Amino acid sequence: MKFSYNWIQSFFIKKLPSSEKLADILTLHSFESSSKNGVLDLDILPNRGSDCFSHIGVAREIATILDIKLQIPPINFIRNGKTENFISVEIKAKNACSRYVARTISGIKVSSSPKWMQERLKLCGLRPINNIVDAANYVMIETGQPLHAFDAEKIIGKKIIVRFAKKGEKITALDGQKFDLDPSILVIADNDNPIAIAGIKGGKSPEVSKKTKTVVIESANFNSKTVRASSKKLGLKTDASLRFEHGIDPNLAEFASNRLAYMIQKIAGGKVSKSLIDFYPKKAFSKTIKLDLIYVNKLLGTKISEKEIKNILERLGLKTSKIGSYLKVTIPTFRLDLSLPEDLIEEIGRIYGYENILPKLPFGSLIPAKRNLKVFWRGIIKNILKETGFSEIYNYSFISKKDVSIFKINPLEVKNPTSSEFQYLRPSLICNLLKNIKKNNSKEIKIFELGDIFGSTEKTMLAGMVSQDNAFFILKGTIDLLLRNLAITDFYYDSYLENISFWNSKRSAEIKIGKQKIGFLGEISSSILKSLDISEKVAAFELDFEKLQKFCSEEHEYMPISKHPAAIRDLSILVPKKVKTVDVLNIINALGGVLVRDVDLFDIYEGKEVPFGKKNFAFRIIYQAEDRTLETNEIDKVHQKIIKILDENPEWQVRK
Amino acid sequence: MELENIQKEAQKAIKNSNNLEELNMVFSKYCGKQGEIGLILKSLKKLSKEERIKIGKQTNKAKNLLKLEFDKRKKQLGEKSINKEESIDITAPGEKVFLGHLHPLTLIRREVEYIFQKLGFSIVEGPEIENERYNFDALNIPKDHPARDLWDTFWLKTKEPLLLRTHTSPVQIRYMEKNQPPLRIIVPGKVFRHEATDSSHNIQFYQIEGLMVDKDISSANFKAVIQEFFNEFFKREVKIRLRPSYFPFTEPSFEIDMACLTCQGKGCSVCSKTGWVEIIGAGMVHPNVFKNSGLNPKNWQGFAFGIGLDRLTMMKYRIDDIRLLYSGDLRFINQF
Repeated sequence: MKFSYNWIQSFFIKKLPSSEKLADILTLHSFESSSKNGVLDLDILPNRGSDCFSHIGVAREIATILDIKLQIPPINFIRNGKTENFISVEIKAKNACSRYVARTISGIKVSSSPKWMQERLKLCGLRPINNIVDAANYVMIETGQPLHAFDAEKIIGKKIIVRFAKKGEKITALDGQKFDLDPSILVIADNDNPIAIAGIKGGKSPEVSKKTKTVVIESANFNSKTVRASSKKLGLKTDASLRFEHGIDPNLAEFASNRLAYMIQKIAGGKVSKSLIDFYPKKAFSKTIKLDLIYVNKLLGTKISEKEIKNILERLGLKTSKIGSYLKVTIPTFRLDLSLPEDLIEEIGRIYGYENILPKLPFGSLIPAKRNLKVFWRGIIKNILKETGFSEIYNYSFISKKDVSIFKINPLEVKNPTSSEFQYLRPSLICNLLKNIKKNNSKEIKIFELGDIFGSTEKTMLAGMVSQDNAFFILKGTIDLLLRNLAITDFYYDSYLENISFWNSKRSAEIKIGKQKIGFLGEISSSILKSLDISEKVAAFELDFEKLQKFCSEEHEYMPISKHPAAIRDLSILVPKKVKTVDVLNIINALGGVLVRDVDLFDIYEGKEVPFGKKNFAFRIIYQAEDRTLETNEIDKVHQKIIKILDENPEWQVRK
Repeated sequence: MELENIQKEAQKAIKNSNNLEELNMVFSKYCGKQGEIGLILKSLKKLSKEERIKIGKQTNKAKNLLKLEFDKRKKQLGEKSINKEESIDITAPGEKVFLGHLHPLTLIRREVEYIFQKLGFSIVEGPEIENERYNFDALNIPKDHPARDLWDTFWLKTKEPLLLRTHTSPVQIRYMEKNQPPLRIIVPGKVFRHEATDSSHNIQFYQIEGLMVDKDISSANFKAVIQEFFNEFFKREVKIRLRPSYFPFTEPSFEIDMACLTCQGKGCSVCSKTGWVEIIGAGMVHPNVFKNSGLNPKNWQGFAFGIGLDRLTMMKYRIDDIRLLYSGDLRFINQF
């Protein structure tokens, strides 16, 4: 919010520090501030809107910090008219309007406002209109109390009614904008129609014009929640609504009304009514807070003396009296934000200066940080993937409307998205990773992401993606390595034929550990690749991280290295294409028994050199015993047995 | 004697051999199975027992002697041949070896976690989808209050009103509901804001929440802990300052600025000419927050803070656009 440096200076006899210095001081003690060309731009904190959305409020802050005296502006005007002759006020919505002060000024001369006033208004971002409206705005910026002036003669029935709007009522605002009202919106009405949206904006009908002779000035206190709700509903934020939303001291209404009367009389002449109409059934009184002096220093970690605490509070305009080890602190009604001892401690701290609080390391029981397994395994997994050449991606948790149709999914929808690009929550990490593949030119890319997805529940997933010809098997090898490094051994790949969204059902597998499904590995369906315009083959895996993490173990035991030599035998077998590696492997392992230490499929060949519809597997079998050196004929016996049994299958042929 | 001649001849040949290949040929000529000495040994069968023992001994002795000389020569020639090897162009590029890359946010998050763990803070996490109670109400942010406008919120189309958490602070409540002080935690996590994006604002980013509660934790303690963190993180003494702020869930509330590292506090474009960079929101836990978590505010005091992980990352690596972090662009990620 913008404030005029000269205007603030006008509240002090003493010369203030330069505006740059003042901005620095305010930043350290009150609000983040900057200064430019005589304008102070202050970021008033939301809890201080009630007293600091005004020049007087900011001046009061400065007076407190610098410990100098503040001069309240004058309100001395001549009262010689009657309010009741012109207007009556009825408050129907008593809960939404705690105070309504009205008075009339007759015989005024509407023209443009003086230059000094116009300049101050412009500095603060307001457009000058005429002397009446400008004076009302001026006093609002000065005191924080929104004010409004109606042309008294245009108020039908000479009656002001504060009520909620009726169904179907409409209003045209001062700037010509039309609004449909409803019974949740508080209005000021005359006998017939709404003439203002209470606390937000005036209506066109009783507008002050050059012909206006008598004005009614309104200085009211509307309920902050009511104004906030109406403002939101109408999509209309004004200088007045901003102030009401933050709450205003009802005791300010009278002072502001007087100040405006003074100002109008000074710049537009006229007779100010002697009496005020003042609807104020429940007066606001000062509260008191019991402040424990020991607690002040305990919470701040300081040694501020009692004298200094009292001094600070009194500079803030609070009254103190001592009762035992407590201070009874009386809070003026303009400080709506102060209600707890902690609120007072903040006041003491910031005026004392946070820079004066000396750092002190905490003193307490030595409790080591607990290990978080999720964090621990996440670290290990990320490292393994990185070491195998994968780059880590952080994608948005959102997916677009277009993605929903491409992937044929039904994800959770955001009620108020910023754009259709971010309209849904990702139900899988795959969608955005695929877009990463496309974005990075598709070729030979290895990426992964670990993050949350959303469906009926929120789940943490680990996904990897490779774009390359042999993508499926590169990923399978990666998963093998990853799981083994996490000390998981009983995992396997199960064929999965059901058709689910983006996987190519003929080229995907379910990954299981024991009986638990923990994820998928597969090629992305070609139709999806086509719609994303990706020409490479792409495979991906997606694992349920929390399930996986439960299987991870740090247990690792050394296996004695056999002292006895290993013998290697290669075995080449021609089988029909449909035969799976595991079918052959199982037989080799079953027959080989303990003597077979390892079987490695080192080549699969399909093509010119083998008959059509067949493929050739080349296995390398390693024979080794733990307790003895295997004799050649012992190995040959087992090996020949394997060959014999494999050959018994009429469609298989071991190549000798 | 024949053996003696063979031996001399062989010794000479060993000496004269110029490379390993020649030496090998000499070896098989004399000591191989079909070599001269081998033949003598084979012919032993024909001799009488006495002679067999005698000549056998001599032959084996000669054979062993030659073997020694062979080995000696072999070593010499080996060294010679190494010296003879062609030199390589050491300026030619090395074979490319590929390692993947961790995202900069992961790197910085780990560093922050490491520092706080050393200070005794445990790492705790919470859900990204939250309800109003944890995200707002329990944190003393009332409904229909302008303070709620500080957190522009994404709401979900769900039966019960759910939202994407706007900060990691809900985890304060979740943790205090289940754990008794003394407590020291940090909560790293993704948060969401419904706002326009630009080079320093994004609809999602990461925060690291901190919470320390004990009998008499003070603002002075907070200042010390956070100073410790900064010095560790930037590996040098970093100047910080506290200034007043407002958060409904802390009282008093502070904003922590650090002296801009780019200009050393002189004022530049990074710090909008102020010399300071806003980096942490913090404060002393509000009594209502203790109450809402089931703790008696009379018994406990504590501080809470929230660090912007993205901003910290951007400062550390001088990244000028937050959106790069979520671009999935490998030209960016592969620099880390």
